[in-house]
Amino acid sequence: MFKGAFAIWRRDMLVLRRSILSEMVAVVAYPLTIYLAFGIGMKGYIGLVDGVPYSLFIAPGLITMTAINAAYSESTWSLWFHRKVQFTIESYRVTPISVSEIVIAKILSGFSHGLVKGLAVGLVIFAITPFRFSPVHLLAYLAFLIPGSALFSCAGVICGTVLDKPETIGRVEAIFIMPLIFMSGLFFPLSSYPANVVPWIRALPTTALFEGARHALVSGVFSMNSALQVAFTAVLAFGLSVWIFRLKTSE
Amino acid sequence: MPAAITTHSLTKRYGDLTALDSFDLEVAQGSIFGLLGPNGAGKTTLIRVLTTLMRQTSGEAFVDGLDTRSSGREIRRLIGVVPQENSLDRYLTARENLELHARLHGMEPRQYRKRIDELLELMGLASRQKDFPDTYSGGMQRRLVVTRALLHEPRVLFLDEPTTGLDPQSRRAVWDYIKSIGGSMTIFLTTHYLEEAEQLCDRIAIMDHGKLIALGSTQELKDRLAGGTFYLIEFGGDAERYGAVLRDMACVRGIEVHGNSVCVGLESWECLSEVITALNGAPVRRIALREQTLEDVFLSLTGEKVRE
Repeated sequence: MFKGAFAIWRRDMLVLRRSILSEMVAVVAYPLTIYLAFGIGMKGYIGLVDGVPYSLFIAPGLITMTAINAAYSESTWSLWFHRKVQFTIESYRVTPISVSEIVIAKILSGFSHGLVKGLAVGLVIFAITPFRFSPVHLLAYLAFLIPGSALFSCAGVICGTVLDKPETIGRVEAIFIMPLIFMSGLFFPLSSYPANVVPWIRALPTTALFEGARHALVSGVFSMNSALQVAFTAVLAFGLSVWIFRLKTSE
Repeated sequence: MPAAITTHSLTKRYGDLTALDSFDLEVAQGSIFGLLGPNGAGKTTLIRVLTTLMRQTSGEAFVDGLDTRSSGREIRRLIGVVPQENSLDRYLTARENLELHARLHGMEPRQYRKRIDELLELMGLASRQKDFPDTYSGGMQRRLVVTRALLHEPRVLFLDEPTTGLDPQSRRAVWDYIKSIGGSMTIFLTTHYLEEAEQLCDRIAIMDHGKLIALGSTQELKDRLAGGTFYLIEFGGDAERYGAVLRDMACVRGIEVHGNSVCVGLESWECLSEVITALNGAPVRRIALREQTLEDVFLSLTGEKVRE
């Protein structure tokens, strides 16, 4: 049943492999600039945050941010491009594969992009900064990174399916995706929020993702609740993305 | 011969707009069938329903006996589609484009590698198989799309305006190939080029406003329009007077006078001798057979007004 999905995913990975070097330069540059500017530039002004140095506090978030951003961007732009510019989605749809297989392939591709690029940024931060963690923590961290990338890949599929104009895709990214990431405690602890706002922020799956990922990587503390919240939202987003894609293509 | 494509009262509505209106059609297996119609006539909607890209509002459509509503996957296994847009993947080489299509059809590598080699050779693309489609000319891209559609050996091939935008040489090359595969599979073709339909198709349907308005071979359609044969008679003068003489004759179906010329429509060519007798003594300078073209048929049925 998944032969078609695998074939499309394989195609996307072939294209990624061809452009990996140029992509990596752009992917690594952004979080690394943030890390150098905030983590190193501001560390003299900001002491310990939640008991860890500021540069250590933001490092896991930057890796996670890179991964989910890459997953979202790849799914959105790839689907939009294949649907509106190249019309390749149409050419997939006249073969004996199901619509669900196309969605699964695109989610898998976004997810793979996220994972590859997130790990690349992680390696660079690890190589050029004093940020260190135990390899055992990595497993717990991946329990957040994998469903998190999948969640944003699904969100990307929904946007790439529903949005017809490229400028709208940019607006959605600026109005929803970036605030979701930045409000979830990537650069500051949740305790900075007014007490009555904190429950709302905690309800965001991105908060569970960033908080859970940080605790897992830095201190090896695994929050099952946060992991389940991210995983459950990812499953929900997957169902929604398949349903929306089917609906859109049947129009 | 059993039908490759059948539709019964096929209707597709987009809100208030009826794109297909109780459309009935039967396409024989192994034939080359042409579908003509002005812009917005419903041709692409019909192809989208038949290729299972879209569901009809009501009515039935069958491809190779399979219902488009319940056997989408099976139908897609049997059909090849050349869409209006090239829909080639510009990030894959020509060969990779074909390999991806083969995998989507569940073909095994040993099976598709050989077939790709054969088809690339046949279509004159073998030497450029490692190049990206963006570097191809329009004709080569079109040939690559046709190659892709033929890769899995479909039983029914849908060609939606296959030569739009091609230069005459590339168009001829595509025509030659379509002719060469005619008979081995059913070919369902939509086109704006009436010459293309005339050259290629065994039977032609003309549709407008979602309805079938004419169906037959090229000759049958021409005969239906003319009700016979048209001749252009050029006189030394007094064409109006001779036109009036001819208008009263029983076998004359229509008369048009332009300057010194009279265009006369006859029931059949046998009437010509009666016409010549009636014009005895008239200053006839030239009599020429005026062949009706498919374009005449098309315009007479769909009107000359430009569609949006």
